[in-house]
Amino acid sequence: MSSGAELIKGIWTENPVFRIALGFCPVLAVSTSIKNGIGMCIAATFVLLCSNIMISVIRKGVPSKIRIPVYIVVIAAFVTIADMVMHAYQPQLHRNLGIFVPLIVVNCIILGRAEAFASKHGVWHSIMDAIGMGIGFTCALIAIGIVRELLGDGKLLGFPILGNSYEPVILLILAPGGFITMGLMLGGLNLIDARRKRKAGK
Amino acid sequence: MGYVIRLAVILMFVGGVSAGGLALLNGKTAPIIAEYKRMEQEQARLDVMPDAEFGVFVLRDSSSTLPYYEAYADSDAIQLLGYVFAASGNGYSGTVETVVGVDTSWNITGIKVISQQETPGLGTKAVEIRYGEKEPWFQRQFERKSASTVMVDKDGGEIVSITGATITSRTISNAIRNNANLLKEKVSKKNQMGTVS
Repeated sequence: MSSGAELIKGIWTENPVFRIALGFCPVLAVSTSIKNGIGMCIAATFVLLCSNIMISVIRKGVPSKIRIPVYIVVIAAFVTIADMVMHAYQPQLHRNLGIFVPLIVVNCIILGRAEAFASKHGVWHSIMDAIGMGIGFTCALIAIGIVRELLGDGKLLGFPILGNSYEPVILLILAPGGFITMGLMLGGLNLIDARRKRKAGK
Repeated sequence: MGYVIRLAVILMFVGGVSAGGLALLNGKTAPIIAEYKRMEQEQARLDVMPDAEFGVFVLRDSSSTLPYYEAYADSDAIQLLGYVFAASGNGYSGTVETVVGVDTSWNITGIKVISQQETPGLGTKAVEIRYGEKEPWFQRQFERKSASTVMVDKDGGEIVSITGATITSRTISNAIRNNANLLKEKVSKKNQMGTVS
């Protein structure tokens, strides 16, 4: 596959959330508003990029039996670096993103990409994969965030949109609402794909 | 056997390099973070006790479980405005830390949540600033309420709790009330002793 294709696949055909079904935990936790979602995405993409590069570089020296602990150490180290640097030099940003940064360690997209991609491909393709997956993750979080923030809080990016007379659907802000929104979107995407395939078949 | 040792050595090496790198970085960032936290706390004290803008805060009982600041309106520490203390309690996920200011008749002059890990979109509304406003609406409710009786509406008080985050609202209110009462006792004891001696 060309490097361009590695980049684009993360957005649609291999979207980490809707296609590979990874990273549900942070998706549910932070998709309550668009701003939270974007913050999580910036932090996660940074760590994904760093860990993909590092793991691709060391992939030949790591025996396969201990690869998972090695990947986890690498990922945890980058998460801590991101956390400390942000806390020291961008305190305002850290205050806003603070709770999302430790969450990245348990974001299985990062470990998933390390295992499924970076450990088998060169550095350049791993960078493209990380950026593509990051964009795909961002798109998914923003899409879910728009629905949940608009219907659950009557706002978009913190600006009141639906007005005071709108009674927010609290359910959508709560965890079940995250599952429902995500499930409907997953179903919708599968429907589009199925239709496409049928057309192509005829 | 040799293979196992090789694995262990590689893993140890990766762990060692990561830990060493983090230790180096921590040595650089820790002082900056500590300084930032100190400034932030200073700012928080002023935020909950705005009248002390040209005055001083004097730390008392720093080694006890409930250290507090006396807030003065002037820099010579003569005119006592009230007290500033910390109140923390277990929220929905982790500790919620609040800084509270009270005047000499124990009415709240302001509160500020300085650290929390509550659920985004629910408990985090405790620090949410509504569009077009300057301060978080939840925290502003506490102003001018009596610190020793402050309570959320679900417990019969007057603080309107956050929708979907009763635990967070209750934690903050209860922590403030408890510590205010403890401090009140402490201060009155101290004042009695002061008059005796």
